[in-house]
Amino acid sequence: MKTWKIILVAIAILGIIAALIVWFFVYNKPHPDFIGAEPDMELPAEQLYLDFIDDEQLANDTYIDKVLQIQGEIADVEQVDDMVILSFVFQDGMFGGEGVRCTIHESFHEEALSLEVGSVVTVKGYCTGFTGSDVIIEHASFP
Amino acid sequence: MIMLRKLLLVTFMFMFVAQSLAAQVYLTRNGTIRFFSEAPLENIEAVNRQVNSALNVENGEFVFRLPMRSFSFEKALMQEHFNDNFVESHKYPNASFQGEIPDMDVLDLTSGEEIDVVVQGELTIKDVTKPIRETGTLRMEDDTIHGKAVFIVKPEAYNIRIPNRYTRNIASEIEVSVDVTLSPQ
Repeated sequence: MKTWKIILVAIAILGIIAALIVWFFVYNKPHPDFIGAEPDMELPAEQLYLDFIDDEQLANDTYIDKVLQIQGEIADVEQVDDMVILSFVFQDGMFGGEGVRCTIHESFHEEALSLEVGSVVTVKGYCTGFTGSDVIIEHASFP
Repeated sequence: MIMLRKLLLVTFMFMFVAQSLAAQVYLTRNGTIRFFSEAPLENIEAVNRQVNSALNVENGEFVFRLPMRSFSFEKALMQEHFNDNFVESHKYPNASFQGEIPDMDVLDLTSGEEIDVVVQGELTIKDVTKPIRETGTLRMEDDTIHGKAVFIVKPEAYNIRIPNRYTRNIASEIEVSVDVTLSPQ
């Protein structure tokens, strides 16, 4: 009888531990660490933009959901509400200068805002797609 | 081929709005779209701040387009399920709306007051296009137009299949809010 009690308590404890593991590591697992992530690809920002212009479907398959490290000349750094957006521009379009727009991670806002337009910079971030005017990079940082 | 035609259509719809009357077009590249699901087990909210949107105030044409991967969720697991299992954003990376605000020509935006409007057109998600007609508001402040609209989307209408095990986690009707601050072109 005592043995059965011990087994039942052990099963209950294991069940609680399993539930906690699922709760912490599956249901509440953290978002990916894009700042610490190794880039999947490195390329010039202009090539990234031109690839979307040339063949959007192929570029979608190649770049979306990837951590990209891109390099280019800064065209603009602007604050939009609580976001800081660094832009590389390669073409004039309906929205003005169009190219690659990088939403900078909040821990790099200060650094981004101190950069000078026209300087060359390397940015790493997560590519979410193309809006019809710009390639979007989010969670961007300076490696 | 159909996919290619749709891509071209969406790419050029912004140009179409712009070409109608360039001086009368208001734009944003950082519009916001939120969705909210209220279900017995949990409420789920996601926000996307990478919405391209254009409004031609001369004829009322209104369009927006957004990358689906830019929806941000509180929980990483929800975001993963949303992209990989529900909207399949690797296959269908964008959603878009192309429509109009009827009677735009008789609206007096210069009053600075919030004006109720009807928004109607076609919403495309996962390559499924459905007509929608909802109410919204427009308000002009200085040189910008603030536009808001809320509409209900049924996932199943857009080929978004929710497995039975998630029916108590995800609502069968999702509230979608559009919030754009448009500046002159």
